[in-house]
Amino acid sequence: MKKPVVLICFLGTLVIVLLVARITLVNSISTTGIKLVDLQNQISTYKKENELLKVQYLEAASYTSISSKAKKLGYITVKSQIDLAAPLPMAMR
Amino acid sequence: MSWRYRFVLLFFLFIMALIITRLFYWQVVRAQELSALGQAQYDQQVVSPAQRGEIKTSDEFTIAADKLAFLVYANPKVVKDKDKESDALSKMLDIKSATISALLSENKFWIPIKSHIDNTVKVKIDSQYLPGVGFEEQTMRFYPEASMAANLLGFVGKDENGSDKGYFGLEGYYDRQLSGKNGISIIVHDAAGHPILAKMNDSTVKVDGRDLVLNVDRRIQFMLDEELKKGIATYGAKSGMAAVMDPKTGGILAMSSFPTFDPAAYQNYSENLYANPFITNTYEPGSTFKPIIMASAMDAGLVKPDTKCTACSGPVQIGDYAIHTWDDKYFPNLSMNDVIVHSDNTGMVFVGEKLGLDRMVDYLQKFGVGDTTGIDLQGEEAPEIHPKDQWYPIDLATATFGQGITVTPMELLDAISAIANNGKRMQPQVVATVQTPDGQTIPIPPKEIDQPISATTAQVMTQIMVNAVNNGESKYYRLKGYDIAGKTGTAQIPVAGHYDATKTIASFVGFAPATDPRFVMLVILNEPSSSIYGAETAAPIFFSVAKDILLYYGIPPNE
Repeated sequence: MKKPVVLICFLGTLVIVLLVARITLVNSISTTGIKLVDLQNQISTYKKENELLKVQYLEAASYTSISSKAKKLGYITVKSQIDLAAPLPMAMR
Repeated sequence: MSWRYRFVLLFFLFIMALIITRLFYWQVVRAQELSALGQAQYDQQVVSPAQRGEIKTSDEFTIAADKLAFLVYANPKVVKDKDKESDALSKMLDIKSATISALLSENKFWIPIKSHIDNTVKVKIDSQYLPGVGFEEQTMRFYPEASMAANLLGFVGKDENGSDKGYFGLEGYYDRQLSGKNGISIIVHDAAGHPILAKMNDSTVKVDGRDLVLNVDRRIQFMLDEELKKGIATYGAKSGMAAVMDPKTGGILAMSSFPTFDPAAYQNYSENLYANPFITNTYEPGSTFKPIIMASAMDAGLVKPDTKCTACSGPVQIGDYAIHTWDDKYFPNLSMNDVIVHSDNTGMVFVGEKLGLDRMVDYLQKFGVGDTTGIDLQGEEAPEIHPKDQWYPIDLATATFGQGITVTPMELLDAISAIANNGKRMQPQVVATVQTPDGQTIPIPPKEIDQPISATTAQVMTQIMVNAVNNGESKYYRLKGYDIAGKTGTAQIPVAGHYDATKTIASFVGFAPATDPRFVMLVILNEPSSSIYGAETAAPIFFSVAKDILLYYGIPPNE
């Protein structure tokens, strides 16, 4: 009986190709965990910076803070109003 | 078979039995324990805490949110110069140097020094490069407006498991919505400790808390806080509280009380300050209660604004008690309009007799007296009205002018808001919308609870209250050009079975503009010392805040 040389060669080549492919793939994703940790750390850092900035913004924009700064600068509360519906005087001293 | 052969066979069988027994022990008896031990070596359970929802005012400004904080810890075995590090940390953490030194002298690997420190403090400590000192991230509740509306907000403390939990106010009432659900992830590590991407999974998905957007207007809240604080100091009151509500929707626009606490440092304050007195404190409302009784009698068709009081020429005798007016001045044939304007107690007794007990109690119940308003704040209370068979004639008489009957300020504000809203009583509501983490907005629609009086009666009563402001005891403080409906109140405080004439609860309730009310407000001062009268203490605060609100809303005077 004639040996199926072609088939054996084909199967052998396939095994080698798949083996190489596997090694290449495993090699390429083996550092993904490290990259993942790096990315997670970066996300965490940006999130923290965002939170800190938000806190700074809220502190600066609060009425409590604006009011105390305005008082220090000498601003006073004005409660007078101008009624545009009322007739305006023709002349004022 | 020789005995030797049998011996060897039995020996091997015995060994085999031993091995099987041992295998059974490891693989069946202790299987779970060993499996867990193995998993612990390569699995790591990571809890990702859900972020607590924010609380925002109507302009979407955050007034309560989570903030990044740090726990400062030390490893005493690594610390080289204990005295130097204690001194350095003491200055930055505001803890005595000796306390830190004692902690650093302990024979441990990990000692917590101070929790919840700010990032700025952490940066300062970092810059000192102190060996053995480290930080652990934490979150803490942050209130950018500090004590503003503290009693309305409540605070976040810990439950029995050490988890965050909201107490009092909105933090307590909406705790489940705000807190969300923690997520749990299982991460499988390789031998070097790096996570294996394909082996990571979320066993429980994290759900962040929902945000609350309030009806509270930050500007009005700030103005109310400032004016109330100033008023308490000016009139020498022991405490004070006030709230502003939109009568058409029931939306709470502002709610203040003083003294108060800082929700971020609630531990430093007395527990007595945590509860919101506006919804928990009960008091005898005094003359601010008169419009409710008068409106009830008018709605029942028993009196009209021009009905003459036939019992107002002198003190009214009820059993052993004589009922006087507040200033002991009497006006025979006083009209019902003038009974409110002069805040005449004898006139109110006349109205009470016309109304009768059954009808009065029925109307009070429709106005919400004796029942909680259903406001979305934790801890609301409501004193019950006595059953009808437990009322004596003197109780009916005194209840008509707000003595001998107790309410919470919230009940009174809600009842008066019905007069401002054409007779319809709305459920007070602090939260306007709930925002989910995925961006959905769930509105909370206004809810009408009852209609105690008709729209016509409400309009007539409003005009009487406008007359009370323009011609009553508080007329010197009224805002010229604006129609404001209101009523003063000076209630004596019952002490050990009698009323102390020198201790009063001074109040003013009203709404503006009277023709199309945008807000209803109640101001209460507890034991003011400069004057005992509501007309001279609570009324000026009311009008000052009312002026601010009218200007803020851009409502022009009508004169």
